[in-house]
Amino acid sequence: MAMEELAAIKKLDFNMCMQCGKCTGSCPVSPKSKLNPRRFMLETAYLISPLTMHPPLNIQEKGELWDCTTCSTCSYRCPREVKPMDVLIGLRSLLVEAGNVPSTLGDALEGVYKYGNPWGLSRSKRQEWTQDLKVKYASEEEKIDLLYFVGCAASYDSRAQVVARAIVKNLNALSIDFSILGNKETCCGNEIISLGEKGLFEEIAGNNLALFDRYGVQKIVTTSPHCFHAFKSRYGRELAVKHYTQYFADLIDEEKIRFSGKIGKVVTYQDPCFLGKHNDIYDEPRKIIESIPGLRFEELGRSGKRSVCCEGGGGRMWYDIPGERLAEDRVREALDVGAEIIVVACPFCLLTFDDAIKTSGNEERIQVKDIMELVAETL
Amino acid sequence: MEIIVCVKHVPETAEAEIAIDSSGKGIKTEDLVFDINEWDDYAVEEAVLIKEKLGGRVTIVTVGSEDADKTLRKCLAKGADRAIRLTDKAFDGSDAYATAKILYGVIKDLPFDLILTGTQAGDDGYAQVGVILAGFLGIPHATMVKKIELMEGFTRVNRELEGGLEQVMEVGTPALLAVQTGINEPRYVSIMGIRKARQKELKVLGLNDLGLKEEEVGESGSWITVEEMFIPPVEKEAEILVGGLDAISSKIVETLRARGLI
Ligand code: SF4
Ligand code: SF4
Repeated sequence: MAMEELAAIKKLDFNMCMQCGKCTGSCPVSPKSKLNPRRFMLETAYLISPLTMHPPLNIQEKGELWDCTTCSTCSYRCPREVKPMDVLIGLRSLLVEAGNVPSTLGDALEGVYKYGNPWGLSRSKRQEWTQDLKVKYASEEEKIDLLYFVGCAASYDSRAQVVARAIVKNLNALSIDFSILGNKETCCGNEIISLGEKGLFEEIAGNNLALFDRYGVQKIVTTSPHCFHAFKSRYGRELAVKHYTQYFADLIDEEKIRFSGKIGKVVTYQDPCFLGKHNDIYDEPRKIIESIPGLRFEELGRSGKRSVCCEGGGGRMWYDIPGERLAEDRVREALDVGAEIIVVACPFCLLTFDDAIKTSGNEERIQVKDIMELVAETL
Repeated sequence: MEIIVCVKHVPETAEAEIAIDSSGKGIKTEDLVFDINEWDDYAVEEAVLIKEKLGGRVTIVTVGSEDADKTLRKCLAKGADRAIRLTDKAFDGSDAYATAKILYGVIKDLPFDLILTGTQAGDDGYAQVGVILAGFLGIPHATMVKKIELMEGFTRVNRELEGGLEQVMEVGTPALLAVQTGINEPRYVSIMGIRKARQKELKVLGLNDLGLKEEEVGESGSWITVEEMFIPPVEKEAEILVGGLDAISSKIVETLRARGLI
């Protein structure tokens, strides 16, 4: 048993847990999985204090640990601040240390280790999405005042690349000076630490910080809420990082954005877990959406703090479980409020919704688009 | 149970763009990522699974430069007990025959009940080292092994044949088994695990330690010389033959004859 991981879990005060079950009750995955955060809180307490009469928890048999999307709903709702999600991540690290990892997740981890992205795609193809766009690549000659950190999904996935291209177009249209790291960019590691691979995360974080220092990076703006969260809260150093929704909301406040087009559609918005529940960013994306001329904005039945995960986080992009995907349910919710476009602000949401719209047979009725795509269409 | 596994540190080429180097006899490797040969990964996993079940010791052997230590450490992190890297300037340019000789140089003095190798390497794809090594050692072997059952004095193995067929064979032990992918599911090794494996023994041996002479290894000790390596040109013409078996066969013969190939 990896003692360091256990020590990390031990720091959490299990006596605080009163077994109220709010965590399990609010977990979006538990209805279709064996994942039961409340039970894990109790059993982990047995794991670290062998003085109880209960049989020891055999963690290596708890494959359902991989079902968690790290949406943070349980941690957010827990009345005693036990942080069940962090405990589950700690337990995952015990499985990682034992090499007991589902093969597709092992491939994702290896991909990051070897190629700097969880899809294991060639590093030399990372900047291909830029094609004919005007971008400045990091160079030793000039310090980077504003770094646009693209992220893996927006670099490699053809659907998500559209978002990266929209962000570049928008920044250029507003004459904002920025650079990208191009092929030197490496995974932020957010999903890596979520999967419990702490050693790999430390290595990635160290390399990324060294890269930022080398190019004198002052400020960072990210495509993905996941990269934003990693840089903001998981790198152990204060970085001036903003998610693009914050960056563009500020530009609207400063009256730097003038829209010339309009979108005559009903739209709704999916709060990404890593913006909303993890970082309390609810207003900025709405501010951008509502400032776009012509559209009618309708909130989903469950939105803001009550928003439901799309199931793309915590490594679940590379690991499927049986049952209907949560995003399919969200597509129906969006149709219920009469939306023609589900607007997202996260590449993982974009991809899970893109799939869910197809698998639920709603391609004719509804689309998914990133906020930056709408801005690019109307600037 | 004493198990020896022979592994190779190879460039990953599935996703990469391949270019020929200036010698015209190899590929450019600067931008390529190196890792354990895929087949060997399964061989190591199988060895560790056997050890976990029956106890014993797993020794990893490779021929390669210092960079290959990454692969060895990974094997140690997976559960192997010790590793030996064979390296010498004189080894450069060794073909499968010379490589088997080098491996034989160290394995002949090691105790073993079983030797596992991958069926082939992802880079040169010769699929010969294991078989030749078994020849040097004078022990039986089986290739394309998809299943291993250990018995008293022999092992029952399933070999993967063409068209999805499997052949069950009994091989007297000690034996060399060249493992096919898919025999198991290789485990993930964490970075922490690789760091911890630094404490395990990793020995480096050269030409003199193995009692080999310079002319026995490298290009001079090889049976195969690489004349040229090139990327096959993309052809513009393709003809798809239609008709019954006889019609197609005679058309092929006709075409080959017309071009003076037979
Ligand atoms: S919500 Fe908090 S207090 Fe309640 S069972 Fe879960 S961890 Fe324990
Ligand atoms: S983080 Fe989300 S998916 Fe994971 S246990 Fe908590 S509520 Fe469930």
